[in-house]
Amino acid sequence: MSVDKKTGLNRRAFLKVSTGVAAAGAGLAIPRKGFAAGQKRLATLIDLSRCDGCPGKDIPACVGACKTINRDKIPKIHEPIAEPWPRKTIEDWSRKREVFNRLTPYNFIYVHQAEIDEGGQKRIVFVPRRCMHCDNPACATICPFSANHKYENGAVVIDQELCFGGAKCKTVCPWEIPQRQSGVGIYLHILPSLAGNGVMYKCDLCNDRLEGGKLPGCIEACPQQAMLIGDRKEIYALAEERARAMKGFIYGKKENGGTATLYVSPVSFAALNGTMKKQPGKPDMGPEERRMAKTHKMGKAVLQAPLYGIVVGVAGAFMALSRRKDRVKGGEP
Amino acid sequence: MSDKIINDGGLVIRHDLIELVEHWAIALSGLLLLVTGIFELPMANRYYITSLPGLSWSGDFITSLYIHYAASVVFIAAAVFHLLYHGILGEGGMIPRRGDFKASIEVMKSFFGKGEEPPFHKYLPEQRLAYVGMAFIIAMLILSGLVKTYKNLYAPDMSLTLVLWATWVHNVFFMIFIMAFVSHIGAILLKPNQPMIRGIFTGTVRLDYARHRHPLWIKEMGPVDEVKKEPGPAREVKMEPGPVDEVKEEIGEDPPLPIVSDAAGKEEEQKEKE
Repeated sequence: MSVDKKTGLNRRAFLKVSTGVAAAGAGLAIPRKGFAAGQKRLATLIDLSRCDGCPGKDIPACVGACKTINRDKIPKIHEPIAEPWPRKTIEDWSRKREVFNRLTPYNFIYVHQAEIDEGGQKRIVFVPRRCMHCDNPACATICPFSANHKYENGAVVIDQELCFGGAKCKTVCPWEIPQRQSGVGIYLHILPSLAGNGVMYKCDLCNDRLEGGKLPGCIEACPQQAMLIGDRKEIYALAEERARAMKGFIYGKKENGGTATLYVSPVSFAALNGTMKKQPGKPDMGPEERRMAKTHKMGKAVLQAPLYGIVVGVAGAFMALSRRKDRVKGGEP
Repeated sequence: MSDKIINDGGLVIRHDLIELVEHWAIALSGLLLLVTGIFELPMANRYYITSLPGLSWSGDFITSLYIHYAASVVFIAAAVFHLLYHGILGEGGMIPRRGDFKASIEVMKSFFGKGEEPPFHKYLPEQRLAYVGMAFIIAMLILSGLVKTYKNLYAPDMSLTLVLWATWVHNVFFMIFIMAFVSHIGAILLKPNQPMIRGIFTGTVRLDYARHRHPLWIKEMGPVDEVKKEPGPAREVKMEPGPVDEVKEEIGEDPPLPIVSDAAGKEEEQKEKE
C-alpha cells in the first residue's frame, strides 16, 4: 500500500481530488461508479492543515463550486410569501443569494477563518463548514414526513418536493445546519398560513453527482486537495493516520454519535471552537452529544412491547380459563 | 367477561376490571400519543403551546419523542394483550355480526327521531363496527410506528420506500385516529348512549337501562345471577322485564330500584313454592 508523502493520500482508497480521476494504485483505486448511492458507505475527510481559504479568490473554490451546482435548485419564490399564523416567521434569502460567509438556503458551505494564538504566535486556520452527514441523524429520522433521509452511501438528503419547512431538522441538529427558504414547496398547495413554512436546504453531498459517478462539487474544486471522499473505513483510517502524523486532532468521529465527515486539524478543536460563536448559519465545533440517544432505551421497550402483550395476554387467558374450569367443577354457573 | 346482574342497587356488570384497565390504558396512552404526535409535527412552538404553563417541554422534540415512546409501550402492550386475552377466551361480543351495517343505519336514524331502535345485545351494531374500524386504525398505527422506531434505533438508512410507507401510513392513520376519537366521544355523548358512560368508569350500567335497551344481552345472561353483597340482607332480582313504556320514561332519571322482594317477601315466595 503506497501513501503519497505530500498528501498522505492512501492511493488504494481515494480518488485524487484535484483531477477527479481514480488514484492509480495498481488498479486498486475505487472506480467512479463505485460511489453510486447504495453501493458503498462513504465518508469525507477535511484536512485543515491543507485548507488555505483560497487566497486571491473572491470566494473559496469549494463555496463557488457548490453555489454553481446548486444555483437553480430552489424554484421561483411564490410572492408575496404567505404569512404563517400565528407565529409570523418568514425566512427569505432569495434577495441575498450571493451571501457566502454563512449557511443559507442558497449557500450550503462556507469557510470559517479561525485566528489561533499559539504561544504568542498568530495562526490562521480555515475551516470549511457544511452538513456533517451524521451516522444516525435526528434531522432525518424524526422528520415527520420523511422528507429528509439518510441513504446507504451516507448522504443525508432533503427532498425539497416533500419538505414542509417546519425546521424541525434544524432544531434537532446540534449544528443547526439546515436553512429555511419560505415561499417555496409543497406547503403552498395545502394550508400555507396554518401549516408549513417553506423548504429546508443543506448540503446533500452532491448525491445526484455521486450517483452519476462524479465527485461532490466542493471536493472536486478544492485546489489544495483538502477534502477527500472514499470508502468510510479507509477514510476513517486515513484520518487517524494523518492526525497521528501531524500530532493533531479529529472532529466528527464521535460528535453527535459519529458522522460521515472527519475533520483533521493540527490545532485542537477546543481552540477552534473558541473562535466560533454559534449563531444563525454559523455552527460551532463543540463536543456535541447525540441527544436522541437518550430515547433509545425507551425505543427498545417499544419494540419489545408486543412481546409484553403476548406474555401477559396468554398467561392471563390461561389463568382465566383455569378459573372458569374450577368454577364448572365446583358446580358454579 | 363477568357480566352479571347485581341484585343490590339495580345494576348490571358490563365490564370487568380487566376490560376497564384495557380500555383506559389504550385511551389514555392513545391520547398522550395523539398530543405528542402533534408536537412532533412540529406545532408546539408555532402555535405558542410552549408558552402554556407546564407545556414548555412541548417544543423539545426529543422529550416529546421520549413520552411518545413511553405511551407506545402501554398502547402496544395493551392492544396485543386485548387481542390475545379475549381471543383465547373466545370473547367476541364486539365482533360485527351479519346485518350490523344495516342495523347501524336504523339506529342512527332513531337518534334523530326516525323509527324505533331494535333491541340490542350487549353492544350496539355500530359499536361492533366501530370496534373493528378502531382496531384496524390501531393496528396500522402500531405496525407503522414499530417500523419507524426500528429505523430510529437501528436503521437510519433503511430503504426510503419502506420509510415513506411507514411514515405516511402513520400520518394518515394518525388523522383518522383523531377523527375516530372525536366520533367516539360524540357517540357516547348522544342522549340514548349516555347511560353507558358510567359503564366505562365503574364497570356497571343500570339494570333498567339494560333491560330496556339491551334485552338480548340480559337474556343471554340466562337465569338471574345473584351477587351477594356482604354484609347486607339477601335480596332477589326478579327478571320479568317491566313494560317497555314505563322503563322508557325512567331512562335518564335516577336509577329506579329493581323489582325486589325483601326477606319477608322471600319467605312468602318460599311458601308458595311449597
